[in-house]
Amino acid sequence: MRMISFMSRFLLGGLYSLAFAGPVMAERMVTDLSSHVIEITAKFSGTELLIFGAIERAITQGSRGQDIVVEGIDYDIIVVVQSERNDVIVRRKEMIGPVWANKDYRTLKGVQGYYAVTTTRPLSHILSAEQRRLLGAGIDQLKIDFKEPVSEKEEKSYRDGFIRNMKARKLYSQQEGTISVLDDILFRAILSFPANMPVGNYQVDVHLVRDEEVILSEHSSLEVSKKGLERLIYNFAHDYPAYYGITAIILALFAGWLGGFVARKTN
Amino acid sequence: MTPLLIFIGVPPAVAVATEANQITAASVSGALAHGRRGGIDYKMGSVLIVGGAIGSYFGAMLFTVLKSTGQVDLVISLSYVLFLGAIGGMMFVESVRSILRNRRGDKPATFRRPRTWVDALPFKMRFRASKMYVSAILPLVIGGLVGVLAAIMGVGGGFIMVPAMIYLLNMPINVVIGTSLFQITFVTASVTFLHSVNTQTVDVMLALILLTGAVIGAQFGARVGLKLKGEQLRILLAILVLAVCAKMGVDLVSVPDEIYSVMPAGENN
Repeated sequence: MRMISFMSRFLLGGLYSLAFAGPVMAERMVTDLSSHVIEITAKFSGTELLIFGAIERAITQGSRGQDIVVEGIDYDIIVVVQSERNDVIVRRKEMIGPVWANKDYRTLKGVQGYYAVTTTRPLSHILSAEQRRLLGAGIDQLKIDFKEPVSEKEEKSYRDGFIRNMKARKLYSQQEGTISVLDDILFRAILSFPANMPVGNYQVDVHLVRDEEVILSEHSSLEVSKKGLERLIYNFAHDYPAYYGITAIILALFAGWLGGFVARKTN
Repeated sequence: MTPLLIFIGVPPAVAVATEANQITAASVSGALAHGRRGGIDYKMGSVLIVGGAIGSYFGAMLFTVLKSTGQVDLVISLSYVLFLGAIGGMMFVESVRSILRNRRGDKPATFRRPRTWVDALPFKMRFRASKMYVSAILPLVIGGLVGVLAAIMGVGGGFIMVPAMIYLLNMPINVVIGTSLFQITFVTASVTFLHSVNTQTVDVMLALILLTGAVIGAQFGARVGLKLKGEQLRILLAILVLAVCAKMGVDLVSVPDEIYSVMPAGENN
């Protein structure tokens, strides 16, 4: 008897938890990218990437969805795309005599070569500063460490200088309120990549937020690589620099000879 | 050409190294043409090349050190301001003088190098094609200087070498151009190799594009050149050179839009 009562309680408990925390209650989200590979060819002049997905909303069991109250967008989406991290050197120009020259520098450890964030609404309305920092959402929340010792004032100016540089090169971007959501279900975000985007593996994170809380996060990866002639030349130049140099010389000699030959024949 | 590449946004280090590669191509056909006519003093050329090889080696080393300390852009710009200013200024003064002289109908002053310290140098060599017997030290030094300039500025060095050969070495005019082109071909090839190995700054695709443009441009230039008088052409060129010099100088002294710059760490360190 005791055994049976234990089993029934166990079963009931299971049903209970199913009813209140089962898949029917939670949101679901599926996301995908318009492409998982970006190929940088010789003609590459930048590209756009479409990140899209659908949200399945939480539905109270038995209601068939009729009692859902939709007051504007109660869900928010944050999309973060970032490349691999590398060290960079930031140099500061100073007046030396009459000219402006690089003087001091700091090494920034493990910063993204590309970073883009796009959202449905201003980030500060969606999440608290603390949560944004934890999530790495927003350029102002990026964690940037210095290799050399640095004062608080310097840290800020080097950090700001670095971010201005990256924004000017279109490698860092933050677009708030540009994700469009259709019928509160389908969403799409468009991110642009400049021609000078770094190669490597990129991470794409899509966060679903409600009431200042991240409910779901989907991660996908994006591969950016040089292809075709561009890749061939780049690899050749970096892996076999001596042969590359000799090839460059032979090409130049041949092209110069050919140019002279053509010019003589046409005149 | 290097300053123009820098103005359109090519990183100065890449502009210099690629330009060296382009000059190899631009001078080889000239050197071949002069060689066919017997316009090259190969022995003198070889001495200049030895100097050029040593000079370009040290120039490329300096270039690599400057690049890793972030000073290469500054040094390239400063060298250009200095050389373009000096050369443009001299060209301008010289062509204005000669125009004035022509108006007054004076005869141009002839120049004959007096016997000086140059003849007192040791290690004399006989150069048959130039009909000269001079010390090998001077051509070595001239070649070396050209090598350093080629490595740091991405120039052929003809603007230094031709006057030096005429006025310092007293070489006959008919072998000056051919021999300088001969040396430039080898020195810029050496610079191309060194920059490829040390800093990977040679962009072959860019060099080919520049070369194509240069071949086409030379055809147009030859036609325009026929319509203008030599002096007018020189004064135009002088103004162009001074304008480029001024632009580079202003860029150096004016407050930059952005005082911070970012480059990957670990490169050339």
